[in-house]
Amino acid sequence: MKEKVLKLKEEALQELQKLNKEADVLNCKAKYLGKKSKLNELLSSLKNLSVEEKKEMGPLLNQTKKELEEAFSKKLEEINSQISYDFDETLPVYVQTGSLHPITLVAKEMTDILKRMGFTVVSGPEMEEEYYNFEALNIPKDHPARDMQDTYYLSNGKLLRTHTSPNQVRAMQKYGAPLKVCAPGRVFRNEDMDANHENTFFQLEGMVIDKDISISNLIYVMRSLLSETFKKDVKVRLRPGFFPFTEPSFELDCSCLICGGKGCPTCKNSGWLEFCGCGMIHPNVLKESGIDPEEYTGFAFGFGITRLAMMKYKIGDIRVLNSGDIRALDEFEIE
Amino acid sequence: MLISCNRLKKYITDAEDIDFLHLWDDFTLRVAEVEGVTVKGDDLDGVVTAKIIECEKHPESDKLSLLKVTDGEKEYNIVCGAPNVRVGFVGVLVKDGGMVSGIKIKTRKLAGYPSEGMMCAVDELGIGSDHDGILELPSDTPLGVDFKSLYPVEDIIVEIDNKSLTNRPDLWGHYGIAREVCAITNHELLPISLLDIPDDKKDLDIEIANPELCKRYCGLEIKNLVNNKTPLEMQIFLHYTGMRSLNLLVDVTNFLMLELGQPMHAFDERVVKNIRVQLANDKDTFTTLDGVERTLSKDTLMITNGDKYFGIAGIMGGLDSEILPDTTSVFIESACFDAGSIRKSAVRLGLRTEASARYEKSLDPNMCDVAIKRLAYLLKQENPEMEITSNLTDIYPEPLLPKTVVLKKNKLKKYTMIHFTDEEVVNSLTSLGFKVEVLDDAYSVIVPTYRATKDISMDADIIEEIVRLYGYENIKEVPLKLELTGKEEDTVWNKEYDVKKFLASRYSLNEVHSYLWFDSDLLKECHLEKQNVSLLGKNENNILRDDLSLSLLPMVKNNLKNFDKVGIFEIATVIINNENKRRLSILLADEEKNMKDIYMNAKEIVVSLFQTLKHQKIEWQKEVPDGYYDENLSYAILIKKKTMGYLKVFNGVCTRYIGKKKALVAIEIDFDEYVSLPVLETLYQEVSKYPTVTLDYTILTSKNMKYEDLLKILKPFYNKFVKEYKLVGTYEEEKKMKYTMRYILGSEEKTLESKEIDKFKEKFMEHITKNGLEILF
Repeated sequence: MKEKVLKLKEEALQELQKLNKEADVLNCKAKYLGKKSKLNELLSSLKNLSVEEKKEMGPLLNQTKKELEEAFSKKLEEINSQISYDFDETLPVYVQTGSLHPITLVAKEMTDILKRMGFTVVSGPEMEEEYYNFEALNIPKDHPARDMQDTYYLSNGKLLRTHTSPNQVRAMQKYGAPLKVCAPGRVFRNEDMDANHENTFFQLEGMVIDKDISISNLIYVMRSLLSETFKKDVKVRLRPGFFPFTEPSFELDCSCLICGGKGCPTCKNSGWLEFCGCGMIHPNVLKESGIDPEEYTGFAFGFGITRLAMMKYKIGDIRVLNSGDIRALDEFEIE
Repeated sequence: MLISCNRLKKYITDAEDIDFLHLWDDFTLRVAEVEGVTVKGDDLDGVVTAKIIECEKHPESDKLSLLKVTDGEKEYNIVCGAPNVRVGFVGVLVKDGGMVSGIKIKTRKLAGYPSEGMMCAVDELGIGSDHDGILELPSDTPLGVDFKSLYPVEDIIVEIDNKSLTNRPDLWGHYGIAREVCAITNHELLPISLLDIPDDKKDLDIEIANPELCKRYCGLEIKNLVNNKTPLEMQIFLHYTGMRSLNLLVDVTNFLMLELGQPMHAFDERVVKNIRVQLANDKDTFTTLDGVERTLSKDTLMITNGDKYFGIAGIMGGLDSEILPDTTSVFIESACFDAGSIRKSAVRLGLRTEASARYEKSLDPNMCDVAIKRLAYLLKQENPEMEITSNLTDIYPEPLLPKTVVLKKNKLKKYTMIHFTDEEVVNSLTSLGFKVEVLDDAYSVIVPTYRATKDISMDADIIEEIVRLYGYENIKEVPLKLELTGKEEDTVWNKEYDVKKFLASRYSLNEVHSYLWFDSDLLKECHLEKQNVSLLGKNENNILRDDLSLSLLPMVKNNLKNFDKVGIFEIATVIINNENKRRLSILLADEEKNMKDIYMNAKEIVVSLFQTLKHQKIEWQKEVPDGYYDENLSYAILIKKKTMGYLKVFNGVCTRYIGKKKALVAIEIDFDEYVSLPVLETLYQEVSKYPTVTLDYTILTSKNMKYEDLLKILKPFYNKFVKEYKLVGTYEEEKKMKYTMRYILGSEEKTLESKEIDKFKEKFMEHITKNGLEILF
C-alpha cells in the first residue's frame, strides 16, 4: 500500500510537471486530490486498516496530500505569474488629428504673451467704414493708401479694412483712456498675388494709452514681445518712419534672428531685420476719439502675423496659407 | 533715390572731415533708410589723358583705325574701332596693365596690329551709357594726367529708400540730404550760388486759372544759348544718379531737380505764346514727350500755350515743346502744383515720372524762384553770352509763410523720459533750419517752409526732430507701470480658439483660411446667382459671401483630388444684410455610399459643440436655409427656440460640383450667437444609493417609420420609476425595422420590488401593442 501511495504521488507530480494551463492544473488537481480521487479513496479506506497500518499509513497519506496540494498551488502560482499574450507589440500606431491654421497658432502665441502684459484682445469688423479705416486715423483724403489700387471699396460705400488700425479707434471710442489692447485680424489689400503678395492676410495691432506713456515704454514692450515670441534675447532699435496715425513714427528693427546681429545673408549683413511700424499715437487720432492729447499719450504698433508665421514655419509661398490645401496645412499640430 | 557724395561735399563746410563711406548707418537711424552704398571708380586704373597724333585706316577693315597716341612722354600704337577718331583729338587712354570696368588691359594684337592699350568710350569708363564713339576731352586738357584726378569719377553713390522719404519733400534733392548730413555730423551747410535776375524787362504772359491746384508758377525767358553741351562733370553726376544725359538744356533741368528737388521744364521759346495753367476738357487727347497719345480727364491739370495743350502739369511735357538741336532760346518753367492732384493724374494716366514723384510729396513753393535763379546761374557758366530777356515772372497767389509751433518742455520730457537742455534743443533744431525762441516752459519754433508743407505742423513733429537727432538708440527702455484689467471682449478671442482646438483635436478636422468673396466659377458651375455687397472695379470673384459653407466648396473640391475624405472648418466673416457676421462652418465630404456616416458624424459634432462645450440642449427643426440645400436632410439648430445655425446638406448640383459620387454635409453656426450663449452651470446630483434595473426591448416597426416617429409613441408612456430611456441599437431588415430601446428603472428612495418591475413591463407591453407595434423577445 505504501508503494501504491508513493507511486500515486510520483504519477501526480509527473503529470503536473507537463501542464502549463490553469484549467488543466485544476483538472489534474481534482483528479488526484478531489473527492473521487484515489488518494481520497485511500484516506477513507484508512478506517478499515489495522492500528499499526493506520499508524504508518495515516501520516503518509496526510503528508502526501499536503505535498501534492503544495505542488499544485505552486504550479498554479507559477502559471498565473507567467501569463503571456501573443501579439506583435512592434506594430506602429497612427494618431488621427486635425490641424489648426498656422496663423491661428502664431496669433494665439502672440496674444498670450500680450495678455500676460495686461493687454486685452479686441476685434473689429472686416467690412469697415471709411471713417474708421482712414479719417479717424488722420489719413487725409488724397493719401495714396486710399486709392482704388490699394483698397477694396464696396458697392455699399464701405470698404474692406486695409489694416487692423481701425481697431484702435473702435477701442478708444468704446473704452476711453487708459487703455491697453491688442487686435489680431484679417486685412485686405487690392494687390496682385504672387509668392510674396496676398490680397488677404493677417496683422496684429497693439496700443497703450495712459498718462506719461513714452517712447521708452514702447521699446520695452516691443523688446519683451519679440524676445518671448522668438524665445531668445532680441534687441530692438527704432528708426525714423512715417505713418499718418503716429508721431513720431518709427520703423522697428530686431536683431537678426539667424546671426544674432553679427551680420549674415538673411539680414543683408546689417545685423538687423525690419520688423514692424510703430510710433507714438498722433494727437489728432487721440483727439478724434475723444481722448485729450495734453493729458494722455500712447503708443501703437502693427505688424503682419502672416509674415511672422511664414518666418516661423519657413513657408516660402504666401499663397499656401489661403489655399485650404490640407496636404500643406495638416502639418501644423495643435499646441 | 541715388545720392552722389561728391555732390553733397559741395554743400558742406570741411566736408573732407566726414567719412562718407561709413556715414550711412547713422543716416538710416536718424533720417531715412539707406538701401545700399556703392563705390564708383575703383574699377578704373591706369587711365590717362592722351592725344591722337597719327590716324590711319586699317588696310583690311572699314571700321578700325590705327592710331598713334601720346601721353606727352611716350607714344602708343592703338587699334581703335571708334568712328570719331582724328588727329588732334584729346581723349582717355588706358595703358598696358591698366583697368577699365574691372578688366585688365594688356598689349595684344588686334586684326594683325599690336595695340598697346585702348582709347575709351564713356560706357567703358563707367561714367555714361554712350558707346557711339570714344570720349573727347577739351583740346586744352593737359596730357598724361590721371583721368580720375581731373574728373569726379571716384564717388560714393548712396541709394535711399524712396518709401522712407514719403513725408520729406525736402529730401528729394541733394541739398536737402546735405542739410541732414550737416545736422548729423555737426557741419555747416553752404549756400548755393544763384544768378541775380534784374526786374527791368517784360513780364511773361502767364496765368493760373486754378490757384487751388497750382500754388505758384515762375517763368523766365533766356536767349542766345549757343553752347548746348553738358560739361563732363555734370554728365558723370547725372549718370551716377540714374539720369540720361541728353544736352545742356535738358540736363540742367534734371540737375536742378536732383539738386533742389524742384522739377523744372525748359520749353523751346520759339513756340511759347502765352502760358495758362488750367484743367483739361474731359476725354481730350494729348501726345506727351515720349510720343504716347494720352486721354485726359476734366481733373487733369494742364499747361496750355496759345490755347493748345503744352504739357501735363507736373508730369510730362508735350512733344511740340521739345528742345530741338537748333534751340537757342528757352522758356523755363519752375512751378509748384497740388500734391493730390498730380498724384491722381499720374495714377489715372499710368504715367509716374521723376517730376510727379516729387510733386506728390507736397513741394515747397518757395523753392520755385530759387531754382530758376540757380538754373540761370548754371546756364551762364556754360553760356557767358546768354541773355535773360524777361523778368522772373512769378505768379504766386498765396505765398506760404513759415509756421510757428509751440512745444512745451514737459511734453518733450513726457514723450522721451529724457531731460534735454535748452542748448541741446536749440542746437539740433537750428541745424535743421528751424528758428527757436526759448520760453520759460516751452520752445517757440519757426518751421522753415520746406518742412511745413506737410511734414511738420504740431509739437509732436518737433519732438521727432529733436529725438531722432539725439538718437533713438539712446533712449532707455522702461517697463509699463499701468495695471489694467481685461475687457470683456477678451473672452471672444479665447472662445474662438477653444472651439477651433476642440474641432481639430476631437474630430480631427483641418482649419482652413479662405477669401471673403465667392469664387465666380463656383457660382457659375452651381448655377447660383448671389446678390450681395460687391467689390468695386472687379468683375470676377467680386461678390462678398453670405454663406461661409458655400464659399468653402472649392477647397473641398480641391482636397478631394488628394483625399477620399475631407473634414475642414473655418471661423470667419460673412456679410449678411450689409452687416459683418461671424460664422463657424464645418464641411464633411466623403464617398456617396458613406453619406449616413458623415451625416451622423456632423450631427454628433453639432451636439457636442453645444452639449460638451456649453451644456446646452439643442432641438432640431426641419428647415432649408437657402434654395440650394436639400429639403429633407437640412435642419435648423435651435436653443430655446432661437436659431443657432444649421446642419445642412447641399442639393445635387452643389454636391456634384465637388466631384462625382460624393457625399457632402455642412454645419454652419452663427458664431456671434454661439459666443454669447452662456455655459450652463450644472449642479451636483447625488448618486442613488439604490440599484437600478436595466431592461432592453427590441421593437419591431414598419420600414418607413423613423426613430422620430417611434419617439412620438414612446414619449407619452409614463412610469415614475423610468430614470432614462435611449436607443442602443437598430437593425434593418427587408421590410421591417428593429429598434432596441434601453430602459433604466430605479428609485431614489428604495430598491425596486419585483412586482413594481413586473408592473412596468406589463404596462409598457400594453402601450406598445396599443400603438400597433410589436416587441420581440
